[in-house]
Amino acid sequence: MVSATPRVWRIAAIAVVSAVVIYMLAPLAVVIATSFSASQFLVFPPRGLSLRWYTEVLSSPAYLHAAWTSAWIAVIVTALAVLVGTPAGVALARHHVRGATWWSALFLSPLVLPVVVLGIGLLSVFSKYFGGPSYFAIVIGHLVICLPYVIRTVGAVAVGIDRNAEEAARLMGARWWERYLYVVLPQCRTGILAGGFLAFNISFDDAVVALFLRAPGIETLPLLIYGRLEFSPDPSVAAVSTLLVALTILIVIALERWFGLGRLAH
Amino acid sequence: MPAASAASPRLEAAALIAPGAALLLAAFVLPVLQLLSVSFVAADGSFSLDAYARLISDAFYFGVTARTLRVAALITLITLLLGFPLAYVAARGSPRTALWISVLVITPLLTSVVIRTFGWLVVLGRNGLLAQVLQPLGLVEPGFALMRTETGVVIALAQVLLPFMVLTLIGSIRAVDMRLEEAARTMGAGFGATLARVTIPLSLPGIVGGSLLVFALSISSFITPALVGGPRLPFLAGSIFESATATLDWPFAAAQSALLLLAVLLLFVPVTLLRRERRG
Repeated sequence: MVSATPRVWRIAAIAVVSAVVIYMLAPLAVVIATSFSASQFLVFPPRGLSLRWYTEVLSSPAYLHAAWTSAWIAVIVTALAVLVGTPAGVALARHHVRGATWWSALFLSPLVLPVVVLGIGLLSVFSKYFGGPSYFAIVIGHLVICLPYVIRTVGAVAVGIDRNAEEAARLMGARWWERYLYVVLPQCRTGILAGGFLAFNISFDDAVVALFLRAPGIETLPLLIYGRLEFSPDPSVAAVSTLLVALTILIVIALERWFGLGRLAH
Repeated sequence: MPAASAASPRLEAAALIAPGAALLLAAFVLPVLQLLSVSFVAADGSFSLDAYARLISDAFYFGVTARTLRVAALITLITLLLGFPLAYVAARGSPRTALWISVLVITPLLTSVVIRTFGWLVVLGRNGLLAQVLQPLGLVEPGFALMRTETGVVIALAQVLLPFMVLTLIGSIRAVDMRLEEAARTMGAGFGATLARVTIPLSLPGIVGGSLLVFALSISSFITPALVGGPRLPFLAGSIFESATATLDWPFAAAQSALLLLAVLLLFVPVTLLRRERRG
């Protein structure tokens, strides 16, 4: 097929793809490059080469505290998203649920409905009934935006599960929870892992929900970066961003190894 | 075997779905409904449509909405034009090519929007990368910068949203039966004609789906327009944030949210209905 592609088209394709590659990677490359700057100011190309901004970030209480806050919020959100999302993903993929289209639409709607509307809606509810925004509010908000990812990745795996194994377990007298614990869940493992990684990543990276639901004094890493970008960022922002990009790359590798990046396309 | 476990697949499904459904109802549907109800309340607590009247009649806010929609339309077009070739190569190329394109698209996607926008601030700013490339070529004046311009927002936000378009397109191009393309080629159609008359029409679901997704995410986006556009170039999401947190005008923030929500629902409900019908 590819060999039958005329030369002109192949050259055109290579040109367009290369241009898009540069377009996609330029902003990240620029951030990474400026993080190694020796200069006091954020300039591109970076002047001099040093790791001083990394030392600065790793010894800054503000950055470390924000990173810690983002990390524990993301861990709690991931655990809850997996706990709530896995059964829903299994059910939507494997059972004949009445009104399945609408349930899927509800479960996946946080993917397309505006996050600002969720943020402000939760802010309004928390201000009215729960004494204002809080860490708890941020966890709830993140849970809503992470849930669809877990449901989708688990669903993608659950569709392919061998039904006979479950039937066999049933016939051999397994109780319903044994059936899920020993037969269904182990087969969903890769989907649960992928969903968990995505949930962690989304919670850790979110600035919008946290911006609406932060109480005074709450600072997550993306919020800290966002705040500095609004004023005059120094290269330490580039250094901390580069560390986050590195974390993202690790997550991408993990996703490819255990789930397959190709399956994230739909 | 206990009768309950055999006769209750429906109950079982309901039990599996219940926690997630309860969470989404309590933490998503109800807050949004409560927000919408706020939009109909006047300062003295009575029913009123004042917030909506202002949203439509105030030239400033009309401009905000128009800018948001205009930029979203442009971004949708750009991501479609850039995304289709990339998705086509990923869907029809070797597994290795496909993997690299996935990495290329998914790595930025999973990087915080704040960081991706930060990169654009450095590229688009005064003395930024773009100015440094274009000035020696004599294409732009000294002091050129796209920060604080609509063009800058389009360039940055299109990059942020391109992965959604590409991922949607890859799936639908892969679903096109390659034998149909081969048949067209064998019967004398050129590569371009095959693309235009077989591949593109058959991948229309992905083209429509990707466009809707990108348009919806674009009109809802907050971080990139706020940082690249700045305070003098407000977009809908930023304006909602301002009304809610700076001027504390809740009914107005709620009315703008309702407008945004309505726009997104108008885009997606027909598609969901169509899909349901097709499934039977």
